[in-house]
Amino acid sequence: MLKMQNISKVYQTDSVQTHALRDFSLEVKEGEFIAVTGPSGSGKTTFLNMAGILEPFTSGHYSLDGIDVGGLSDNQRADLRNQKIGFIFQGFNLIPDLSLFENVEVPLRYRGVPAKERKKRIEECLEQVGLASRAKHLPQQLSGGQQQRVAIARALAGKPRFLLADEPTGNLDTLMARQVMELLEEINRNGATIVMVTHDPELARRAPRNIQVVDGQLADFTLYQGVPEASQPVVDTRIKAEV
Amino acid sequence: MFEIKPIFNALCRSKVGAVLLFLQIALTTAIVSNAAFMINDNLSYLREDTGFTQDEIFSFTVMTFGKDRDLRQQTEIDEDMIRNIPGVINATMSQAVPLSGGGSSSSVRLKPLPEESRQARLNYYYAGEHALETLGVKLIEGRNFRPEEVIISSNYHEKGPSTVIVSKAMAESMFDDEPALGKSIYLAGRALEIIGIVDVMESAWPRAQDSGTTGIVPFINAQNYQYFWVRTERGERASVMNIIEEKMLQAYDKRVVINIEGLDDTKEAYDATDVLMMRMLMVLVVILVLVTALGIFGLTQFNISKRTKQIGTRRALGARKSAIVRYFLVENAMICTVGLVIGSIAAIFLGRVLMQAYSIDALELEYVIATAAFIFMMSLLAVIVPATRAANISPSIATRTI
Repeated sequence: MLKMQNISKVYQTDSVQTHALRDFSLEVKEGEFIAVTGPSGSGKTTFLNMAGILEPFTSGHYSLDGIDVGGLSDNQRADLRNQKIGFIFQGFNLIPDLSLFENVEVPLRYRGVPAKERKKRIEECLEQVGLASRAKHLPQQLSGGQQQRVAIARALAGKPRFLLADEPTGNLDTLMARQVMELLEEINRNGATIVMVTHDPELARRAPRNIQVVDGQLADFTLYQGVPEASQPVVDTRIKAEV
Repeated sequence: MFEIKPIFNALCRSKVGAVLLFLQIALTTAIVSNAAFMINDNLSYLREDTGFTQDEIFSFTVMTFGKDRDLRQQTEIDEDMIRNIPGVINATMSQAVPLSGGGSSSSVRLKPLPEESRQARLNYYYAGEHALETLGVKLIEGRNFRPEEVIISSNYHEKGPSTVIVSKAMAESMFDDEPALGKSIYLAGRALEIIGIVDVMESAWPRAQDSGTTGIVPFINAQNYQYFWVRTERGERASVMNIIEEKMLQAYDKRVVINIEGLDDTKEAYDATDVLMMRMLMVLVVILVLVTALGIFGLTQFNISKRTKQIGTRRALGARKSAIVRYFLVENAMICTVGLVIGSIAAIFLGRVLMQAYSIDALELEYVIATAAFIFMMSLLAVIVPATRAANISPSIATRTI
């Protein structure tokens, strides 16, 4: 599904070069649910931007669903994001002046989906996140958890095979975080590949596969698949990297 | 594709900026279309043919205080003297100066009073057979005055003229399309036979309504305050103007020669207020259009800075750069359309008020349409720069925690 080989990202200012990612390689198979953890400034968000084709990388090779991302034009990158990736952001990033219905509609409009089909799809997605009855409400009329569920509905609207979640529970309390996580797990069970960036170790443990990013590099792969939750270690990436 | 419905809904939900902008656009449309109409009306007036070869003609005023000369004789001597100055084509004395804002005007009738009759306003010059050549007007029908038809007298009613040369506009206003030549009109109770028709000949008040309904009445009433018109060969006018006072005083020195002025300068002085008003209107139009353009530019810029994250999110969700530019163009077009519709209605209303208050022509709809189209285009131009900048916002903004 996602294959990154030796991806590097260098941010260049007048006098300083910052290596946000160095020789970053990762392969994510179809249907996987991966949690990406790491301390602040480790390069998690840069990884997310690269994986989500939100920013060009400096060097390396990245293919998404068999498409070589490196050689694409800006329009092709926009189309690829629209068709293959569903985004869930930490701050929900709902458009405040648009109703829930219109928010979920945004990616479908960019895809040129006919109005009738759009309506059907939006209603399905809002139903899936349990907010069908509030389609005409504005985002500010909802709680944080509800807003994130709308954002998930928006991410699902285009039926993407790949979901990128950036701290999806970062702004939510424990109860709402759990509900959102359960929703993501259900989406994953339905076949979507999910890459979730989080700083919450507990949340990360719920993902079948964890990776850690430290200083712009992949620190470790930890497979928790099949391991009971209670016996999963709390991961300290630095220590594990040394082991 | 154009996201009209969600943009409209979004505008309805946060409408303060949009309302202010469309009010500004409406106001600009209302004022600019009326101002443009007035400017154009003025420009077409300024470009109008007066019928005179203005740059070859000059006039001057003579105030005689000497009592020892017969003014009628002196006038003939003066005219002959001026005609003999090298470079002079012709010269004549009159009671008024064309295009100057001061002259004679009276209503003329087809029948004498008290009979019922069609009437029209005749703006007339008293002058003899030299007037046509001096003014450079074009005789299109009939003939010039014969010397014996030119009456030198001080009593119009008892020993006045019996012929007249009128402008085409005058002939039409009295006789429509019927031939006017040979027919008579009554001026101050005297029947004047139309013996010639000239093409265009402006009155002393070119700005006035019916300013083209003019005539030359062959009546010389020499008085101690009189005007002379002189036509020179092209390029000779300035030198003749320089010596005219000296020559006039040489001929008779108990008088004063003043207001020696080219006819083009006379017209310019007459039009000065109109030209000033037109320039002020132009400045007003430019300022209004600029302020509106800046308003649109500023609001778009403000909206973009307010919506940076939203734009990044849209880009992340698959919006191409062109979709972002289109979004702002459509949003602006919607605000602008509302403003233009309201402004166009206001323009027509304002036009009617101005028409009633200042007796100006009714605003033509073409001006409202052209102004609206211009403001619409200008608003798109004002949006395109910030919208293009917005389109360059990186989609990675969406993942930043601001």
